[in-house]
Amino acid sequence: MITGHRDGLDSETTSGGAGGKRLGRLSPQICDWIGTAVRLGLTVVWAWAGLAKISDPETAAQAVRAYQILPESLVKPFGYGLPFLELAVALLLLIGLGTRIAAFVSGVLLLVYIASIASVWARGIAIDCGCFGGGGAVAASKTEYLQEILRDTGFLLLTAWLLWRPASKLSLDRWLAAD
Amino acid sequence: MSTMSQKNGEGKRSARERMQEERAAEEAKGRRLRKLWISGAVLAVLVVAVVVGILVMNGRTTSYTASQAPAGTIGANNLVVPVGATNAPSTLTIYEDPRCPACGEFEKSFHTTVNQLLGAGKVQVHYHIVSFIDRHDQGTGSKNGANALGCAQNAGLFHPYHDVLYANQPDETVDAWSDKSKLITLAKQVPGLDTPAFEACVNNNSFGAWVTAVETDFDKSGYNSTPTILLNGTSAYPSYKGTGLTPQTLVTMVNAANKGKPLGTLTPAGASALATPRPGAS
Repeated sequence: MITGHRDGLDSETTSGGAGGKRLGRLSPQICDWIGTAVRLGLTVVWAWAGLAKISDPETAAQAVRAYQILPESLVKPFGYGLPFLELAVALLLLIGLGTRIAAFVSGVLLLVYIASIASVWARGIAIDCGCFGGGGAVAASKTEYLQEILRDTGFLLLTAWLLWRPASKLSLDRWLAAD
Repeated sequence: MSTMSQKNGEGKRSARERMQEERAAEEAKGRRLRKLWISGAVLAVLVVAVVVGILVMNGRTTSYTASQAPAGTIGANNLVVPVGATNAPSTLTIYEDPRCPACGEFEKSFHTTVNQLLGAGKVQVHYHIVSFIDRHDQGTGSKNGANALGCAQNAGLFHPYHDVLYANQPDETVDAWSDKSKLITLAKQVPGLDTPAFEACVNNNSFGAWVTAVETDFDKSGYNSTPTILLNGTSAYPSYKGTGLTPQTLVTMVNAANKGKPLGTLTPAGASALATPRPGAS
């Protein structure tokens, strides 16, 4: 009988169910390490995205304003708050705490970003997505909506892995035996 | 006998199983509890991050009041630099970024004509010195340039310095004006501008809050590129009411708009600010 009891990082090898799901014939060990790699990859993405946006409040606000989606009263709360939400997600993924929740927030952010970029594209507005700092209007010839959406979709696939199988090595979740 | 031992064996096994089940249930309970605590902690981290972030960013915004603007600026919150006769019949509104190459092109083609229209009292120009190129290309050249223009405005020499800057505009991607000493060197081409006060103003970014306020005003204006040119409030660049803007058509448009109206009269100070020869010619 497997009770899920674990006392360390390496005691879950007895079962495919211990650390989460099995992917085809990959052992849970390998899947755990893939989870760690995905976590750290997304950590870099969100940390970069967040840090690039916090240097100048005016730029952060304008990056949001340029989408012409939110009313002016919400431009600053979103422009100021989103970078720090991204940084918090990066921190949680880095230490592997509440990985599934962090992945959920990451996924929601990416879906919102993809939808927003698609929206400005459809409305014929020419902006830089401001995904990694910058933002605001650009010449119509300088838009990169397709690349931006494809890139975010790639990040979304990484996020999906963690939503489906949040268990990973070198995580606080594992250390606290709560994954 | 056999039934007894069987019973005993069953009893033992079920006792062991019960213990195992209890232990498992306890562990499951502990796990659920830990998960709950972790979820709570994670949500707290996310909420605190957003709240702290909004507060930090708010604290980092430069507060601005109209009294921080350079002398002689006008409009709501003193964000506009006026040039020319205040009673001129037409107003040309120009949004320009010191680093913007299209603004450099506009200035190259139009500055002679604009200066003639100014000198004749046909138009006054309302400059909005914006600074958004720094966001796109990184750097500080736009903001430094805009601040230096504020310093020149404070000294009453905005327009000649403006012309000098655009005549010597570095390539957009080369952030030459991140080096403030270059802006001071260019000020030497405007007689009387390069004073210790001006240099301190440039080096200390004295009108930084004003520069940010002008840019924020532009952000909210809905105009999103430079140069944005308005003739009497109507977009004039690249075309005005269907007519492409050239130095010649600009004169025609201004004359048409001014028909029947008296020309403006320049103050002596305004006239002398316009009279400064263009760099290279001096």
